[in-house]
Amino acid sequence: MVPYSQAAEDVKQRLRPFGIFFEKSLKDLIRGIRSHNDSPENLDKFLQQVLSECRDEVNSLDLNMKTNAILKMTYLEMYGFDMSWANFHILEVMSSSKIQQKRVGYLAASQSFYKDSDILMLATNLMRKDLKYAGGNDTVKVGIALSGLSTIITPSLAANICDDLFTMLTSTKPYIRKKAVTALFKVFLEYPEALRDNFDKLTAILEDDDTSVLSAVVSVICELSKKNPEPFISLSPLLYQLLITIDNNWIIIRLLKLFTNLSKFEEKLRPKLLPKILELMDSTSATSVLYESMNCIIKGNMLEYDDYDTALQCLERLSTFCESQDPNLRYISCGLFYKIGKINTDFISRYDKLVIRLVSDIDVSIRSKAIELLKGVVDDDNIKDVVTSLVEQLVDGNETSENMELETPFIDKLNVSPIYFPEEYKIKIVNTIIDICSMDNYNNISNFEWYNAVLVDLAVLCQDIADETLGIRIGLQFRDIMVRIPDLRSATISTVISVISNEDVSSQLPSVLKYCYWIVGEYSNYIDNGNDLITLLMEKEHPDQETKHILVTAFMKIFSNWSNSGHVEITTVKETLDRLMTYLEPLSFSNDFELQERSVEALEFLRLCSEALEDQQDELPVLLTEVLPSFYNRYELKPIAMGTQEALQQNIEIDLETPFLKDEDLKLLLEEEQYNVTSDNCSIISTDSVMSNQGKYIGYSYQDNGIDRGEAESLQESRNEGIKKMELEIDEDKKLNPYYLNDEPESGLSPKLKNNLLGEQITSPRQNKVSIDIRTFDQTKFGLEMKKTRGKKKKNKVKVLPDEIILESPGTPSMDKHSIKSPRIGRPSDSERKISLQSKSRLESFDFSQPSTPQTPSGAFENGNEDLEELRKKFAEQNFDVGINDNGNYSDEEVVVIRKSKKKKSSSKKKSKQEETPMLDKQKEEVN
Amino acid sequence: MTQIKYMLLISRQGKVRLQKWYVSLPNNEKTKIIRNLTSIVLSRKAKMCNIVEFGDHKVVYKRYASLYFVCGITQEVDNELLTLEVIHRFVETMDTYFGNVCELDIIFNFEKAYNILDDMLMCDGSLAESSKKEILNHVKTMDTMEHNDHLDRVLS
Repeated sequence: MVPYSQAAEDVKQRLRPFGIFFEKSLKDLIRGIRSHNDSPENLDKFLQQVLSECRDEVNSLDLNMKTNAILKMTYLEMYGFDMSWANFHILEVMSSSKIQQKRVGYLAASQSFYKDSDILMLATNLMRKDLKYAGGNDTVKVGIALSGLSTIITPSLAANICDDLFTMLTSTKPYIRKKAVTALFKVFLEYPEALRDNFDKLTAILEDDDTSVLSAVVSVICELSKKNPEPFISLSPLLYQLLITIDNNWIIIRLLKLFTNLSKFEEKLRPKLLPKILELMDSTSATSVLYESMNCIIKGNMLEYDDYDTALQCLERLSTFCESQDPNLRYISCGLFYKIGKINTDFISRYDKLVIRLVSDIDVSIRSKAIELLKGVVDDDNIKDVVTSLVEQLVDGNETSENMELETPFIDKLNVSPIYFPEEYKIKIVNTIIDICSMDNYNNISNFEWYNAVLVDLAVLCQDIADETLGIRIGLQFRDIMVRIPDLRSATISTVISVISNEDVSSQLPSVLKYCYWIVGEYSNYIDNGNDLITLLMEKEHPDQETKHILVTAFMKIFSNWSNSGHVEITTVKETLDRLMTYLEPLSFSNDFELQERSVEALEFLRLCSEALEDQQDELPVLLTEVLPSFYNRYELKPIAMGTQEALQQNIEIDLETPFLKDEDLKLLLEEEQYNVTSDNCSIISTDSVMSNQGKYIGYSYQDNGIDRGEAESLQESRNEGIKKMELEIDEDKKLNPYYLNDEPESGLSPKLKNNLLGEQITSPRQNKVSIDIRTFDQTKFGLEMKKTRGKKKKNKVKVLPDEIILESPGTPSMDKHSIKSPRIGRPSDSERKISLQSKSRLESFDFSQPSTPQTPSGAFENGNEDLEELRKKFAEQNFDVGINDNGNYSDEEVVVIRKSKKKKSSSKKKSKQEETPMLDKQKEEVN
Repeated sequence: MTQIKYMLLISRQGKVRLQKWYVSLPNNEKTKIIRNLTSIVLSRKAKMCNIVEFGDHKVVYKRYASLYFVCGITQEVDNELLTLEVIHRFVETMDTYFGNVCELDIIFNFEKAYNILDDMLMCDGSLAESSKKEILNHVKTMDTMEHNDHLDRVLS
């Protein structure tokens, strides 16, 4: 049957010019897809078959068939099939002389060419050919080419065609002018030199009669000014004129955008522009224009911090937007509201009702925007309502119940389905609740029992949210309240204990535990049955090492406070002590250094206590009654402002020169040390001292081998003595220690402190065992005056301790009252969704003040070469100089000098560039 | 100024009917965006606003009959109203061109829809021609020229 099939092919070939095809047309393809839609496998099979047909057809010599195949593939690309393999065929179709085919080619090219350098190089030549305008029907051809330019443009192509494009700007056909202007935008991005050298030509188009051309050029300038506003400042008088005269809303909006960009850069535009924009707001009826005007005022930095009139005008309009039926209007107005609030919170504080209503909008995106506004509008009257409604949303979000209906004013209640709350939104709610409550040192909260309850609710609700930071935030809040509100500590601590004992919370939200443990430890004097608490804590699973660190110390604190509370029987103390020791035993072998150290410390001390308990059956040993509390109860902790501690540390001068002990003191010390050693029958201390003083005193310590052992009995006595002394010392320390911020206001101004490192010398070496003398290192010489600032008078009955700050220190961060701070803990970055659409171009950093050079791209290089030659010459001269007064050592330095001179040279060159800018400045003045 | 980074036409079944990218993105990025956006946009309720934050940019969408017109715009470009306006203008223009446009028109004449879009939005995704008449005029001229080509071919 060979002859027949040949004949059939022949017939097909001959019919083709009449538009009769036997291959699948695009319509057949689409119909085919639709008819195979029943199952995915079926569809896939069909698509594969079509694709392989396309592969054959695209190789055909007949351009019509090729075009058809390309068109089909462009369609299939939407189904996710890669078509870059056909790029060369596309190029062929693009170069066709038939408009129809060219059009398909360019369409396919703009969909498919992506950073394919080979194909782009070939396309460059084609582009240049297509852009040659020969009159007549070529308009369309050029138009197609200009449209396709965007995907194909490269720096070299841009440099090549820009002259052609500028010639087109003078074309008689508006269509060509318009297309050329838009194409120029891409050229400028790739090749900014073109803009610099032809700035006048672009400016001239601004006076074009044709609206579409004008609109295009304004768009182009607007986009360019976003990247680099500087060169366009000089156009402002012209643009301003345009804004006044034109009545096309599209162009007005673009002009406003343009002025936003310019005004950000040049603030002198403000006095001229602002009245005009306000006038525009009054006269226009178009919402977009109104919105854009406000946007221009706000984003163009035209709204001053104290400009209440303008703010009010904007806010009035915004608030009507927020009431509108159109969710889009509500959404974008929220965004603007936020920006106004950022300039001055006072502007928006009256709109609390509106914001609260928006927080329960039907649309989660609007709610999420409105929540950001809450910080600007809450006060002590409405905070409860706000927080309650937010917590309700969390509850509803978890249960997806349907009582949402009642709150949403904008919808009819019949067709409401439960709103799905994304996790991000829930996190935002929790963060916002904490933010607005803790704002300004809890200024808004009058009832802290209520706030405690809210925090517990949050802890329970946060369990389902996979964000560790929330637990930390809640924990920090508990700690803050505990420290700051002394009157409420006993209430708060029971809240905290209830959180700890809540199994769900501690297993689902473990990050909160660390802070709870610290609280129960530090404030265990509010707890009566410390042993039960210890038991509770021992039974719990602890999430991570860090929590365990805190736990070990908390145990000691609780034990210390509990055993000294006065009503505890010695046997229970003993029992608890044993339990603690057995608990700590395994921990002291932990892999974690910090945990190991802490537990070993605690364990050793407890062992001492336990030995002492064995000796004394009737009452608690001193080790427990005095020594242990002294570890923890020396100072009361106060809230310290961020940075204060650092500021203090900067002023510390540590004397590292003066020895702690004079020679004779040391002798005495070593002698007495020997007594201890022998009485305790352990030689660690003595070897330590011998080791550290090796060389100088080594003979000395061996001298005193025969020692009176009778001293042992007097040990206990002197210990008691030491404790009394230590108590006195504590008081002394309190007065002198700069870290201890005194409670009484009259002693707030502490006298200048002297370094008492020497004045308060170690008198008895035995006391070393009892009092921790290392603390004296802390007392250092610096003359900082401390002052405790009392918070302003509050209506609150509860006293909230403000942060302790030092007034003098410059490092203390001042809180900007007027700025809405963005939540400290940001949204978790969703890497999967992270898609960057930012396009970088050379234009952004391009220096327009640079003088134009005839052949720009290569010119720069030549300049560089010239400089290099000059430098070489200089270098040679300098070398020569060096040779003359060559002293050997100096040659290195000379080289450095030469390098410096190089740098200077380049910077002076920069200056000379800057000197050419005044031309623009002059025009800036004209604007004003 | 609305600067559209991409425009997608997605049917209610989640099929892409038209896609136009004004930024160069590798293919897998494109499919990822389409996949994620389809699920987000289709799940939104009718009464919700038409602006969604998506990754580092915003997405403005609008539903016409069975088709969702989805535009990705950069964060700093914030007149979403204008983007909606552009979408509407596109739909209006197609409506006049096809005469009561429906999804099928766009499916079967997708290259025509692309042509209209090309004439309306300039190559970086900002609006070049706001006049409906202009666009239609131009597209029709091109169509006649194509037709002439066709005729030429038949006669040759």
